[in-house]
Amino acid sequence: MKSFVDSVVQWSRFQRNRNIVIQAVFLFFVTLLGVYFFVRASGLELSLSHFSSRAGFGLSHTFLVDYTSNDSRWVAYFTGVVNTIRVCLVAIFLTTLLGTVMGVARLSKNFLTSKIAWTYVEVLRNTPLLIQIIFWQIVFLQLPQISEAITFGDTTAISNRGILLPWISDNGNAQIWFIFLGIVAAGSLYLSYFLNKREDVSGKSFSIFGNRLNGNLVGISLFVIVTIVTYFAFGRPVSMDIPEIAQNNKGTWMQSGGFDLSPEFAAILFALVIYTGTFITEIVRGSIQSLSKGQTEAAQAIGLSKYQAMTLVILPQALRSIIPPLTNQFLNLTKNSSLAVVIAYPDLFMVSRTIMNNSGHALPVFFLILLTYLFLSLCISLVMNLINRRVTRIGA
Amino acid sequence: MKKIKYTLLISALFAMTAFSFACASEDSSEASSSGGSSTLQQVLDRGMLKCGVNDNLAGFGVVAADGSFSGFDIDFCKAVAAAILGDSSKVEYTPTTASNRFEALGSGEIDLLIRNTTWTASRDRELKQDFTAPTFYDGQGMMVYVDSGYNSIDDMEGATICVLQGTTTELNLDDRFTGTGMSYTPLTFETNDPLQAAFEEKRCDGWTTDKSGLASKRASFPASAGGPEALKVLPETLSKEPLGPLTRDNDSEFYDVVQWVVFGMMQAEESGINSSNVSSIASNPPNPGVARLLGASFEGGEVQDFSFGIPKDFMQKVISQVGNYGEVYDRHLVPLGLERAGSLNAMWTEGGLIYAPPFR
Repeated sequence: MKSFVDSVVQWSRFQRNRNIVIQAVFLFFVTLLGVYFFVRASGLELSLSHFSSRAGFGLSHTFLVDYTSNDSRWVAYFTGVVNTIRVCLVAIFLTTLLGTVMGVARLSKNFLTSKIAWTYVEVLRNTPLLIQIIFWQIVFLQLPQISEAITFGDTTAISNRGILLPWISDNGNAQIWFIFLGIVAAGSLYLSYFLNKREDVSGKSFSIFGNRLNGNLVGISLFVIVTIVTYFAFGRPVSMDIPEIAQNNKGTWMQSGGFDLSPEFAAILFALVIYTGTFITEIVRGSIQSLSKGQTEAAQAIGLSKYQAMTLVILPQALRSIIPPLTNQFLNLTKNSSLAVVIAYPDLFMVSRTIMNNSGHALPVFFLILLTYLFLSLCISLVMNLINRRVTRIGA
Repeated sequence: MKKIKYTLLISALFAMTAFSFACASEDSSEASSSGGSSTLQQVLDRGMLKCGVNDNLAGFGVVAADGSFSGFDIDFCKAVAAAILGDSSKVEYTPTTASNRFEALGSGEIDLLIRNTTWTASRDRELKQDFTAPTFYDGQGMMVYVDSGYNSIDDMEGATICVLQGTTTELNLDDRFTGTGMSYTPLTFETNDPLQAAFEEKRCDGWTTDKSGLASKRASFPASAGGPEALKVLPETLSKEPLGPLTRDNDSEFYDVVQWVVFGMMQAEESGINSSNVSSIASNPPNPGVARLLGASFEGGEVQDFSFGIPKDFMQKVISQVGNYGEVYDRHLVPLGLERAGSLNAMWTEGGLIYAPPFR
């Protein structure tokens, strides 16, 4: 009969069995470490109950949220989250445009165009974002002081307190009207799509009195006509909101009305757009260059113009390799937006820092910040993955 | 190839084990630091006091071009170092910001925080930190441009106010404005430099912080933006702001040393002892009270020992190397225009609040 030791030796002769042991030991230590951290963490105060108490501090930017210092810390925090989402959404949109244009320009045969794009990338990619943010803050502070604000025919006022633009104000039915317009817009889009598709497939075009009409034109005209008609039908739901600056009886300059583009928002937006744009430029350039030269030549051979070749042949194919690294840049942008704290833009990080300082409970608030950024990042990833699936679909 | 994998796994295992041991040892050092006397002992062992300070507030704490620190708060760091280590130069200064200062102290990065920090109930209790004794009685004020025409905060309806983040200042400001039904826009900055840049460009109508801070910012206001004459501090005081050094909670030996060094400096001023006469007074104290303060013998008698765990004559070193409270005040705060007479910072004998419990 074989001894126990012999059988163990026999068993351990197989690589597979040894691997099992090693993995079991490894797992044991990982579990140990996990338990250790869990025990340490369970002793900590992680409750967020103090978030329901009165905030007690004011915020300079309250976009879409009607925040006052009497609200709870939750409302203050939510205001910060909205401010972060606001700057990130606008920045992601603009930086994609900028990066795409610059990426194409970088490959231009025109010497000046390509060198401008090259300089843009090399200078702005290689300087710290924080410094760029402070630079833009200082730039926007150099706008005239409010007592000497530049005004354009009483519709726009520019000062270092903010750039005031005409905007629309609600006369009562605006919300319903906007929802209605949204439905009409979707309908018009579908109509254009349907007409174009029909023309592609059957060659039948949409025509009135024998005049052939483009499907896009039909959709746009439908939307414009319905908008104008319903504007009156809904009893003029919106009106122009003209900004105004004036001194009150104590001499304080007050801004009212219009859309207020504050220097803080503008500075963080410019910095994020321009900094992230450099990376997107390089992504777009790299993806275009990775395509075979034959694609461009083939597009030219069938008589497409340079613009058509770019938009119909090159960019749609380049998109497949653009989207995944682009997602990374969007995530970076979102996380970098927390640097807004240095120039007094109340994003979620700044508001939660204030709450942390007022309450003294640093750890649970930090967890909340982490979870919020994680949530925002996962949302971006989700959307981008859906887009990625769409563009990489074979035969799409 | 397989062998390499094997080695990698083994080394990973070792790394994990080493890491968990490192965590465990960190644990034990933490335990010892939270227990009793250790900060004082650590400072003695290290031969260096780690002091968290402001590096950008004229008069209270500024760093010069050569990296040396000076100011009212800095002198109290020096005084504590002189008391514990006998040498006021044995201080390692760590610049802190308004928002990271408590974490720096709580984490043990610094031993002592002297950074124009207001004593409040929530900080004392919730932040697990202890205020020793107020060194300066401050109050929040509002600074505006002279040409703004403001004479009181009541004139500032709708104004934009620049304020620093993470301070009671933000809350007092809101209490003052919303409490009287006035609208305002706070522009909350994390550090002073971008705030000052915004104020210089009149991005905001007012700048609010402790009056001492306003006085120092006003005194150093750049001529390109109008200089000190372009600014005025409104007479109103928004809050009580007693400023003083902080130590960690449950650190009573170190806490007592810091507290009684501050009291000793106040008592020295009251007793007429200053840096130039301290050695002659110590060699021949005029009365037993002075002898007890200086840890000197009165007419050959026994020297009083307060058992602070540091040399009995610590106040002699503090006063000879740093000076008494009045000297420190005159050196740093009078040049800013913060007059002492008639303010809360006068000696109690002159109607102020500077009062030391008895050394006996």
